[in-house]
Parts: sequence; C-alpha cells; structure tokens
Amino acid sequence: MNTKMRHTLIAWALIGPIAVVILFPFAVMLITALKPADEVLQPHWWPRNPQWGNFIAMWKATNFGPALLNSLLVSGFSTALAVAVSVPAAYALARMPFRGKGAFRQFLLISQMLSPIVLVLGLFQLVASLGLLDSKLSIVLVYAAFAIAFATWLLQSYFSTIPRDLEEAAWIEGASRTTAIRTVFLPLALPAIAVTCIFTFVQAWNEFVLALTLLRSQESYTLPIQIFSLVAGRYTIEWNYVMAAALVATVPVAIVFAIMQRHLVRGLASGAVK
Amino acid sequence: MKLKTYLMGGAALAMMASMAHAGDVRITVAEYSSKTGPYFDKMAAEFEAANPGINIDVEVTPWDVLLQKLTTDIAGNANADLAIIGTRWLLDFVDQGIAEPLDGYIDDEFSGRFIETFLSPSVMDDQIYGLPVAASARAMYYNKALFEQAGLDGPPETWDELAADAKAISDLGEGISGYGLQGKEIETDVYFYYPMWSYGGNILNEDGSSGFGSDAAIQAATLYKSLIDDGLTQDGPTAYSREDVQNLFKQGKVGMMITAPFLANQIKDEAPELQYGIAPIPAGPDGDRGTYGVTDSIIMFANSGNKDEAWQFLDYLFTQGPRSEFTLGEGFLPVNQAVSEEPAFADNADLNAFAGVLPDARFAPVVSGWEEIADVASSALQRVYLGEESPEDAMSRAAKEANRILGK
Amino acid sequence: MNEGTAHSAAGPAQRSAARRRHAVPYLLIAPALVLAAVIVLWPLTVIGNISLHDVNRFGQLRGFSGLANFAELWRDPDFIATLWRTLIWTIGVVGGTLILSVPVALVLNRDFHGRALARVIIMLPWSVSVTMTAVVWRWALNGESGMLNSALRAGGITESNIVWLSSAATAFPIQIGIGILVSIPFTVTVFLAGLSSVPEDIYEAASIEGASSWQQLRTITLPMLRPFMTLAVVLNVIYVFNSFPIIWVLTQGGPANSTDILVTYLYKLAFRFGQMGQAAAVSIIMFAILLAITLLYVRLVTKTEAKS
Repeated sequence: MNTKMRHTLIAWALIGPIAVVILFPFAVMLITALKPADEVLQPHWWPRNPQWGNFIAMWKATNFGPALLNSLLVSGFSTALAVAVSVPAAYALARMPFRGKGAFRQFLLISQMLSPIVLVLGLFQLVASLGLLDSKLSIVLVYAAFAIAFATWLLQSYFSTIPRDLEEAAWIEGASRTTAIRTVFLPLALPAIAVTCIFTFVQAWNEFVLALTLLRSQESYTLPIQIFSLVAGRYTIEWNYVMAAALVATVPVAIVFAIMQRHLVRGLASGAVK
Repeated sequence: MKLKTYLMGGAALAMMASMAHAGDVRITVAEYSSKTGPYFDKMAAEFEAANPGINIDVEVTPWDVLLQKLTTDIAGNANADLAIIGTRWLLDFVDQGIAEPLDGYIDDEFSGRFIETFLSPSVMDDQIYGLPVAASARAMYYNKALFEQAGLDGPPETWDELAADAKAISDLGEGISGYGLQGKEIETDVYFYYPMWSYGGNILNEDGSSGFGSDAAIQAATLYKSLIDDGLTQDGPTAYSREDVQNLFKQGKVGMMITAPFLANQIKDEAPELQYGIAPIPAGPDGDRGTYGVTDSIIMFANSGNKDEAWQFLDYLFTQGPRSEFTLGEGFLPVNQAVSEEPAFADNADLNAFAGVLPDARFAPVVSGWEEIADVASSALQRVYLGEESPEDAMSRAAKEANRILGK
Repeated sequence: MNEGTAHSAAGPAQRSAARRRHAVPYLLIAPALVLAAVIVLWPLTVIGNISLHDVNRFGQLRGFSGLANFAELWRDPDFIATLWRTLIWTIGVVGGTLILSVPVALVLNRDFHGRALARVIIMLPWSVSVTMTAVVWRWALNGESGMLNSALRAGGITESNIVWLSSAATAFPIQIGIGILVSIPFTVTVFLAGLSSVPEDIYEAASIEGASSWQQLRTITLPMLRPFMTLAVVLNVIYVFNSFPIIWVLTQGGPANSTDILVTYLYKLAFRFGQMGQAAAVSIIMFAILLAITLLYVRLVTKTEAKS
C-alpha cells in the first residue's frame, strides 16, 4: 500500500503536467463551444451565459449528421478492405517461405514512407482516370492502400507468435489447410485483427488531406473536412460551432480508445516486434 | 468465394459513386460564408424547376483550398463546367486555354447588367473570360467611441494624421492600440499597398518591372515600422491575419483598420454595440490614394461538354433577383447596376461608403506569377515588421525577387 | 519450410499440386501488393515524371526539362533553409516524443491510484484529427483573445499577453511541442506493449540478486524496449517528416518562411505559386531523404542489436 501511494505520487507528478497540456485544448473546445456569439472573442474562461443549445444549432448549421455518416462509412469500409487484404498477406509472411519475401517487406516499408500529401497530385490523376472522383469508393480504396503496410506488419508479427503446432495437429486430424485456418488460426488471431482494425479506423477517421482533394461535393464530405470548411477562408467564422463540432467528432473515438486501450497494448505486445 | 465477396463489396461501393449525365452542369463555388452553399443549392433548384432536363451539381469548396482544388481538377482532367475563381488568377487560365471566352454568348443587354469597374478585370485581349460574381473594395473602419474618448473629432485624412490619431488612441491604455496592422497570411502585402499607393507608388512600374524598390514603397514600409516601434499597432503584427485584426476591431481593441465590407455584417451579429464609421483610406502628401478592389469571377471551362446549358444557368444567376440575394447575404458590393439601385443597397450607409471609394480602386496586376510576387512582398514586410531587415534592404531585395519572377 | 521444398517429387498430378502450393503465398499477398502498388507507387511514378518536365500550373506537361526543376530548387536559399529546418523539426518532435514517452510508459506500466484515468488522458490526443488539434491551438494561441494567454495570466505565470505566433522564435518551438503532444499516444502505446512483454520473473530474479530498480531499468527494461523504440522511431520519423497540418494551420510556414518545412514549402509551390515541376521535385527529394534515413537507421539498429 505504501509503495503504491509512493508510485501514485511519482506517477501523477510526471503525468500531471503532461495531462494539463493535453487537456488544455479540450477545455478550450468545450468552453468556446458553450459561448454565445457575442462572448466568443472574449478570452475569459467560463462563459457568463453558457449555451448548451449551441450543440444542437451546430448540428444543423454544420450539416453534421451526413458528415458523421460519411465518416463512419468511409472509415468502416476502408478498414474492412485493408484488413481483408492484409490478413492473407500477413499469413503468408508469417507462415510460408517464398521467394521475394524480403522484397515484399521492403515494398511495404517504402509504401509506408510515402504520405498522401507528397503524392496528392499523382493520386488525384489516378483517381480521376479511374472516374472515381467525388466517390467515397476512391477514398475507401486509397485509405485502405495506405493502411496496408502497417496493418500487414502488425498482423504478421502477431501471427508468428501463434504456435504452429495447433494448426499442424488439425491437419493430422484430417482437416484441410483452409479449415485449419478457419477453425484454429483465425480465432487465435482475432485480438490482433481487432487491434489492426482500431488503428486503421482511427487513421481513416482523422485523415484530412486526401479527403480534401478527392471529395468535392458537400454531400460526400467526411467530418474533418466538414469542420475544416467552417474555418478555411470563410469571411465569418462561427468559432463556437467549430469547437462544438470538433468536440462531438472526438467523443466517439475517445470512448473507443478508453474501452479498447488495454486490448491495444496487448495486441501490440503479443507480436514481438520484428 | 473471397473474390466474390470483394466484388460484391466493390459493386456496393461503386453505387455510392456519382455518375455524370449529359445535361448535367457542374459548378465549383467558393464558400464565402455558411450562407454560400444553401444559396447555390436554392438557385440550382429554382433553375432546374424552370429548365427541366438540366441538372445542376454544386460543389462548394472552402476558399483557402479553392486554387488547390481547381489545379488538381484541371490536372486530372476532371474540372467542372463552371467555376468561381479569383479574378487575379484568370491570366493563367486564359494563357493555358482553360477558360472559354464568353463573347459569343454575351449580348449588349447582358453586359449592360454589370457595373463597368467590376467587369473590366475579367476582360483580357478584348474578350470577356469571366463574369464578376463577388466584388469588394477596402475602406477604413474606425471605432467612434475610441475616437471620442481620445478627443478626436473624425477619421484621419492623411497618413500623418493617422499616425497622430493612433498615438492619441494608444495613449488611452487598457491594451488598446490605435491602428490594427495585418501581418500574416492572405493580403499582408495589400495592407502595405495602401500607404504605398498614397505615397505615389505602384506595384508595377510603367515598364512592367516591380515597384517594390521605389521611394514610395520604402516610405510606406518605414511608416508601418515606425507605427510598430512607437507602440501604435497591436503587439506582434506578424501573428495577426486579416481575420485576427478584424476580431480585435470587433472587441474594441484597435481604433482603426482597413478591410472589406463584410466586416460590417459581422459587427451586426457579433458586436452589435460597437459604434463604428467607415472612411476612405488616408491620402498621401500629394493627395494620392488607392484602395484595393477585388472581384471573383465565374468562368466557363473550354473543355466543358455542356456549354449551352452552363450558359443558361449563368444567364439565370446574373439576373437581378439571384444577384440581389447573393450580394445581400454575403455582404459584398453589388456588381449589377440594377441591384445597386435597390433600396437595400442604395440606402445602406456602410455600402455607400464603399461605393464612394471605388473610383480609387486598383486591382491586382494582371501578370503571371502574381501569387508568388505577393508572397515575396509579404515575406519582405514580415522581416521589416520583425525588425530583421531595414525597410530599404527588404524592399529592394523584394523588388529584385519580383523582377526575377516577372522576367525583367 | 515444408511447402517450399516439396516439388522435387515426380508425377504430373503431384507436380501441379506442388506448383499450386507454390503459388499459394503469392496469391495471398497479391491483393495487398496490387492495391498498394497501384495506389501508392503508381502516383510516385507520375510525380517522378512531372519532376523531369516543364509543366504548367495545372500539371500539364510541356516538354522534357531534365534536372532543371531540381537545379532551380537548389538555387533557392529558402529551400536550403527549409531543408535544415525540416531536420530540426523531425529530430525535435521525434526526440522529444521519445524522451517523454519512455518515462510515461514506465509509470503507466506500474500500478497506482488513478492509472486507468491517466491512461485515458494520455491517449486522448489520438482521438482528434491533427488538423483539428492545430485549429484549436491556433485559436488558443491568439495574442489578444487566446485562452492560453488568459490562462497564463490568471495563473500568475505571465504578466502581459505574449504574441506566440508572431515570430519563429516562439512559434516554431510551440509547433514542435504540439507535434510531440500528438505523437505521444501512439508511442506510449508501443512502449506499453514492449513493457508488458517483459516477463515478471526476470525482475524477481534481479531483485533477489539485489539489483536496484535503477539497475533493473538499465539492464533489463531498456534493452527489452529497444526493438519497440526502433519501431516507434522509424514510424514517427516517417509521420513527422511528412506532417503538414500543424505548421500549415498555425503559421503557413511564416512569418517570412521562417517556419516552413518541406511539406509546407511543397504545398505552397504546388498550389499557390503553380510551380508544379518544382513541387514534384520536392516530393522526390523528400522521398529520397526518408528512404535514406530509414534504411540507414534500420541498418544501424540491426548492427548494434547483433553486437549486443
């Protein structure tokens, strides 16, 4: 107990200052979101006349609902696609020897190095030549492609810790390789797949540059773009709505993180880093 | 099995993709405020109702990324049929054969709808390439209450008076500064052209070379630097964009600033108590003065497949009703003669003050590479404001840089 | 191992079965390979092509120009300064993240009152898009109406308002600080994962042998963490080097280009000045630098690991 108290003191002495800095922008968001229009520019902290109704007004003024739906669709589909192509690739990397394995790994590392902003012009031409501009499909494909490297790496390092004997035992009992994968391997791989899904989903949820370039009509905007369009070059910025929107967009992800973070750590840990 | 799942997923996704039809007109519009999107949607709906068979797709784009979006669109051969652009970008669009000349569609009745000052920047090589959709000019806002407290009876007529008035207001203390000086992001250079023009300078000399190294330019930069050094502007002007300075004005923390008509609209919503006036930009010793005129234009793309339909929509957009609604909603100056005579505009004191400065309005020069030259000027000014370089050195270096871009 | 060497057997049926088995790994990686190659590598070739051409502001090629775009960049003193600044930015953010994340992860790995809460707080920045974080900070850093100044004054830390973004001297460190803040969640998660993979009994054995907790940290924990550090450093270098929103939203690289890094410089060249050729050249240079750094670092680390 005594050592735990000591640990607690040391821990909060270290975490405390960092926590303050981390929480500061959230406090700014909340407080600005609650201010009425004529108080927004005054830097006092607590609004004299808090407007909880701002959240409702924001929802309408910023077209929040459709953007939320778009974000969910795009993030969900791209995560599904990324994981669907990464799991077999990771399985091959973890379990099968084949010529070109090293080259494939290097290819993944290189694709990890390229960021959307650096490629934006080329990407745009690609998407345009496929006739997919302003389609959410283009964003889904591109997000999935950029997620593959990290997802495959994460999955394969976890897969290689799943003991081979279990599958081999199933083969001996006469199961086909596919059956063995389905009944023995995949259930064991589930935690890693879940973690990969979270990483990919969050990446897509927060992505900005590509969505800005590839989506053109407001009906297809995702949340970050929708919120950004409230501040980007408008002559009048309704800061209270901007902050309310930012806060509401944050909450779902924050909750997922709070619930899932132990699994996140475990999923990363079990695959010894290679 | 797996392949099939992929294919089905792909097909489902593909259905979310939008597909273009003949008779569709796509228009890219800049988002000026939260009212812009709904306005164009409404216009599209009204137009579609009157013109069955034509479908209007409106793509609303934040101003800050409009040029990026147009660039990538054109590079990817995926541009719309119509787009709003900054008229100062028009030259590049014309040079590269991207904008369609509109003379074939325009008759005298149509061109007669516009106020000449605002149509002329869109004319190149005697052809009309764009129709002005938004227009504004800059004038000086001043805080009447602060002027009164400082014992001043009216806005300054000249830059010398401005410096004196700024001193009187700054002396009020309480964190109030006389003159709001913009030093960050878009139009940082423009904020400096006002005194430069007043001192008789020009952005480009007669021979097309840069005027940044002129005596007038150095005088103007020196004036701003001395205002900063004497504490007559807000602290750290290089941290303040136009919007930030406007916020200072709304808060009553600066006595004067130069900006566009839309600030008046914002004051009505956010600081209704503020007593302000609008005055012309101060004159120089010889009575010269200049204000910045800006227009945005709608252009038609040369590669559009639906030019006739696109023109029909333009024709509708530029009739009196739609123009009046847009201009009123966004707080711009009327570009249509008939609109400017409507009581809502003719009797609006703020807008009249702006209309009054129009004869002094100067537009961004029509040269390719203008944005880069503006950035050169902004950077030079920022170094002056920060005290990193003397006005002489900074401005003559900027002139050299600008001349390189101009090929002079 | 068993599937790769099995094709020495004779019969045609067996051979085709062997060939099929041989093909399996390629079939498994094919979807990932194709998707990533088309979407990530193909644009790279487009950019490479543009960088070698004279292009108009709309990216339309106007004739081969060899290395002219690269030469033009090299002559620009702003580019050279930006190159160095990008180095400082990357080292500052990645280094700072590492220095803060190790102790935070160590602390969070031990049991203490309020640990669940502390973990949630540390993870929070991850749940906001970096662009939004930057927008909020820009709002909070405003000299007059910013809440940072009013908080600092209320706390008695400063007496007058500081105009944070007026010069690089204050703006750039703040940008690095925000960069660190948003990189901490991922890095701490990786380190926590590393720590939880250290078996408890090693520590027990060490304490029995009388090793102090400092010695345990140095001889057990940190060495065990090393591969996780490599991972975090490599990924963070890639992310930070390419990171656009923080600097763009706060200062757009200003005042007077004094906070520009390569990505913001690239963005300005491409989309503001219409210098597509030079912008593409910057893309290629960035890619080359990143490739060189990553390969060098990975080689260095594997070498030291092999030694120890």
